[in-house]
Amino acid sequence: MLDPKLFESDTRADWCPGCGDFGVLAALKDALLKSGKQPHEVVVVSGIGCSSNMPGYIRTYGFHGLHGRPMPVAIGIKCANPRLTVVAAAGDGDEYGIGFNHVVHAARRNDDIKLIVMNNEIYGLTTGQLSPTSRLGQKTKTSPEGSIIYPIKPLPTILGAGGTFVARTFSGDPKHMSLVIQEALKHRGFALIDAISPCVTWHNIYDEVKKLFYKLEDRGYKPDDEQKAYEAMNDPNGIPIGIFYRTEDKASFQERLGEVNGGRWPVDEVKTLPESVCRSLALEFA
Amino acid sequence: MPHQGKEGELTIRIGAAAGDGIQSAGEMIMRVLSRSGLWITTYNGNQSLIRGGHVWFHVHAAAWKTYSMGYGLDFLIPLTQLAYDQHYERLNSGGAVIYDPSSVKAHDLPAGVRDLSVPLGEVALRHDRRPIMRNTVALGALCAAVGVDFDVLAKVIADQFGRKDRSVSENNVKAAQEGYDVVRQGAPPVRQLKYDYSSPKPVMTAGYAISMGAVNAGCRFYSAYPMSPASPIVHWMAAHARKLGLTVFLAEDEISVMNATVGAAYAGARAMCATSGGGFSLMQEALGEAAMTETPVVVVDVMRAGPSTGLPTKTSQGDLNMMLGISHDDFPRVILAPRNAEESFYTAERAFNLAETYQVPVIVLLDYAIGDGGYSTVENLDFDFRIDRGKMLSAPGPGDHNGFWFRRFALTSDNVSPRAVPGTPGMMFVAKTDEHDEWGHDMSDVLAGLNESAPLRERMQEKRMKKLEAIKGEMKAPELFGPSGADITVITWGSSANPSREAIRELHRKGVSVNALEFSDIFPLNEVEVTRILRTARTKVDVEVNYTGQFAKLLARDTGVEMDSYLLKYDGEPIYPIEVEKHVLSLRKEVHAVA
Repeated sequence: MLDPKLFESDTRADWCPGCGDFGVLAALKDALLKSGKQPHEVVVVSGIGCSSNMPGYIRTYGFHGLHGRPMPVAIGIKCANPRLTVVAAAGDGDEYGIGFNHVVHAARRNDDIKLIVMNNEIYGLTTGQLSPTSRLGQKTKTSPEGSIIYPIKPLPTILGAGGTFVARTFSGDPKHMSLVIQEALKHRGFALIDAISPCVTWHNIYDEVKKLFYKLEDRGYKPDDEQKAYEAMNDPNGIPIGIFYRTEDKASFQERLGEVNGGRWPVDEVKTLPESVCRSLALEFA
Repeated sequence: MPHQGKEGELTIRIGAAAGDGIQSAGEMIMRVLSRSGLWITTYNGNQSLIRGGHVWFHVHAAAWKTYSMGYGLDFLIPLTQLAYDQHYERLNSGGAVIYDPSSVKAHDLPAGVRDLSVPLGEVALRHDRRPIMRNTVALGALCAAVGVDFDVLAKVIADQFGRKDRSVSENNVKAAQEGYDVVRQGAPPVRQLKYDYSSPKPVMTAGYAISMGAVNAGCRFYSAYPMSPASPIVHWMAAHARKLGLTVFLAEDEISVMNATVGAAYAGARAMCATSGGGFSLMQEALGEAAMTETPVVVVDVMRAGPSTGLPTKTSQGDLNMMLGISHDDFPRVILAPRNAEESFYTAERAFNLAETYQVPVIVLLDYAIGDGGYSTVENLDFDFRIDRGKMLSAPGPGDHNGFWFRRFALTSDNVSPRAVPGTPGMMFVAKTDEHDEWGHDMSDVLAGLNESAPLRERMQEKRMKKLEAIKGEMKAPELFGPSGADITVITWGSSANPSREAIRELHRKGVSVNALEFSDIFPLNEVEVTRILRTARTKVDVEVNYTGQFAKLLARDTGVEMDSYLLKYDGEPIYPIEVEKHVLSLRKEVHAVA
């Protein structure tokens, strides 16, 4: 019998009532539970912002890091000890703005990190400024007359960068989100889960998303064709959620590192070198 | 009047354009002399380009310990006119210039310098379609001129090229033999030292030495983004990844490098990264993250001349101020600056032990002069390292758990909290870069501004900062070079000790009363001890490679002791012993005038 309190923390989330991030937190806990993970086997890494408060609210190992940098911290953890399940969880400012570079390269390398981006199209904690996913014309504190900047399209960008698991979910449907996260946890390598997680205070798009979203699988969509994935992501008439693309054919970066280091992972190898090796090293340049 | 070369020493410089194989030729000279039982120090006069321009490689060898570039040039091998024009004025009387008169005009040769013209290009073209082998021919000529057995060079060539292709190696040996024969015919060597071919001495740069030392200290995670002059470290790590079981993460930028290093260390690895000043500027926010999360990392900065991108292949000790203040607000850090390759090797052991014992970031400052092309002989490498991981727990002690979390940031009498690593059952905690309480609860949101928060924040900041007091007790005092009680004391830090040592040796021959205090543990300074030592010095001259005298200012700040004189160099070139010597001699006049 699964203990539903396994991942419960002593800290109550301080998000605004109705915040989409509650749904993401619930979905993540549920997915970890149903995937049979134990709290000590999991590390949740985050950045800065409302959504990045996640680590304290879920009882696993956690690293609440700098703005934009959860991916490299997560990658360092995974490279040091690939037995850990490493989840990065942050907002659109973190992952599609200041730290997008790291996401693109994580996709390219196929780092074995599951990244959940709580996308609310706004900077929430800093009280409502334009984010990389804010829409053209969107009125915010930094765009009082409406945004004059086109939003970034993270999903096709990451797919183009070599993404091997690209999905979108909606915090209004945590059950579906949990299923997608469970699939991501099984995935071989990097998974990007764009989680639409509306900000009820600064940019409430709940009703709109509820009206427009549909599940890809309900339309018989199979996530095995890259070209079709681009088309599906760019649906102008609705907001598809689910897995757009997935391939298990690419080895993860950590698998490839293991081929080079022979499975001798840094956390297990904190020791001096054998004497014979030392002797040959000392004379390497002589 | 040209200087006389130093008895028992050899200074050799080979120069040409980038792409002419100068670095590899210079390294072969180094190996030949090292395998002949001499002590070696080299310097790589490199430029930031791949083809063309002017590059040179300098080898200083002696029957006793060398530290720096020595005095003048006993041998100059200019493969281009520019190489001759740039360096011939340094030639010592009693030395020689080895050159090809068909491509170089040896004008204004200083008195007492032998003219060894060798048809380098012609010989090279007999063995290859391209003249690239002319530096090999020159190496043959050099070996004859210094009286080293040709077999030593033949073996060095075989080791250098043999892996690529046997015929390449054989052709090079033949070419070298011809160069050797041209100089040897009927003439005794120009300058011959006593050679001992029985035991080669290990040579390495500080960059390679710290790489080896780090791995031997248990570091198996290394991350980098390429940047001169730190790149040789990642080259070494990547080349040894399979053999030694290393995990090397070549990241997309230095921000990623530092964050990944913090992540790996948090996960329980011993993790290191390296860069130069510009890369370090990108790393600085994450260095604060390491300090705030009390994650032990070792970061190497191989300094080059700046600011900004500056001079990528020229040297400097200009990053000290940056390291003292790097990243915002106060946090503890340790700064070490080994003087040479050998000390760099052992510094790796200390850096990781200090980092893990005190859970602080440790910064190791090297520089281009010793870190990249600067090889030096290392006497005895003792690989018997101690690995001290500090307070590492696999299960919580009493009171260390609240049913949810491990008390990772516990306030303790020595200000160091027990640590656990992810994967350990029942020890979950959140490492926070936001201010936090002992349990890792966030203090930036629901706790901020509450009555109980201000004293808590105060205690957490004190807990981190007070570690510095204990670390001071582990800092090594400066090493005294020369006799105590000298009239003049040279103050050095890191690699500036090297030219100072050669100058002091020379000054002692001239009867000057001088010694040096060489600092390699830079911060935190053990103020009481350092003040006491500095007060014993009479006339103090600060020698360092930056504009403002950064280390002298640190000493003045923390001890109140001011320098009497400064030798500050910031032209991109390393300090030469002659510069220290002249400065001290000028001071001696002042000292005597006052007396």
